Amino acid sequence: MKRGKLEIIKDILTIIQYNKSIKITPLLRKSNLSSTRFYDYINELKEKDLVKENNNKIILTEKGFDYLSKYKNIIGFIEEFDL
Amino acid sequence: MMPPGFETELIYSFVIILCSLMIYFGTKSIYKLSSYKGINYFRKAFLFFAVALFFRYFIKFILLYFKFGRIFDFKFGMIAMLIFMYFSLIAIFYLIYSLMWKKKKFRESYLHITALIITIISLIFIIPNLYFIINLLLFIFLVYIVYTKFRKSKKKNLYLIYTLLLIFWILNIIDILVPNFLPFQILIYLASITIFMIITYRVLKKIG
Repeated sequence: MKRGKLEIIKDILTIIQYNKSIKITPLLRKSNLSSTRFYDYINELKEKDLVKENNNKIILTEKGFDYLSKYKNIIGFIEEFDL
Repeated sequence: MMPPGFETELIYSFVIILCSLMIYFGTKSIYKLSSYKGINYFRKAFLFFAVALFFRYFIKFILLYFKFGRIFDFKFGMIAMLIFMYFSLIAIFYLIYSLMWKKKKFRESYLHITALIITIISLIFIIPNLYFIINLLLFIFLVYIVYTKFRKSKKKNLYLIYTLLLIFWILNIIDILVPNFLPFQILIYLASITIFMIITYRVLKKIG
């Protein structure tokens, strides 16, 4: 089933959270995305301050943790109001 | 001494503005996290509802306090009406766009330009029937859009709420354009407040 953008972001952040910190290449493999889409997402996540790079590894920011904890609320809200 | 009806208008406006701002600020965090456009449009709708209601209250206050028959009898009445009508239109546009943005994409500026054009046309001809007709046609069009979504959606209650919101919006506009035209005004106010409180409750319940 096709993943929506928010779900893809959640999946990427979950992988990073599980690994605590992860290099780009293994993250790309685990994300199940084409490399072009993956890099688009990673750049967006960096711009939005959901992740940051530290010693060539990707880690979650506080905002990234926040996204994961509030993900269900976000999706619930979108579904509730059919947005 | 305050004129009769002043307290009613104050309470009505205060409650709607409060509900609208609670929705706007309450959804700030989930929008900042997700940057989801639908949430953005939904928030903006309620922000503009709050602004529109503020100017509606201002107009009502002028009408009640200075005992003008119509707002246009007041020196700056046209400006106040323009602002009220523009913001109430743009609020409705954003609410509807929050439902249909995935299927029909266009620039947000088009919403603003359309609202401005309708507002200006309505006010150029200061004839109650004409701007009532413009808003009624718009209302019918928007109810149709809501209905087409309603048929396909599982969220039947949501579309019922939105339809009632559109009805009370048009009644609010009539109430401003043609003062004292509506019978049972207090019931309309109570129903409007109920609708907004239901939406506020549903928002706050979902965002946690």
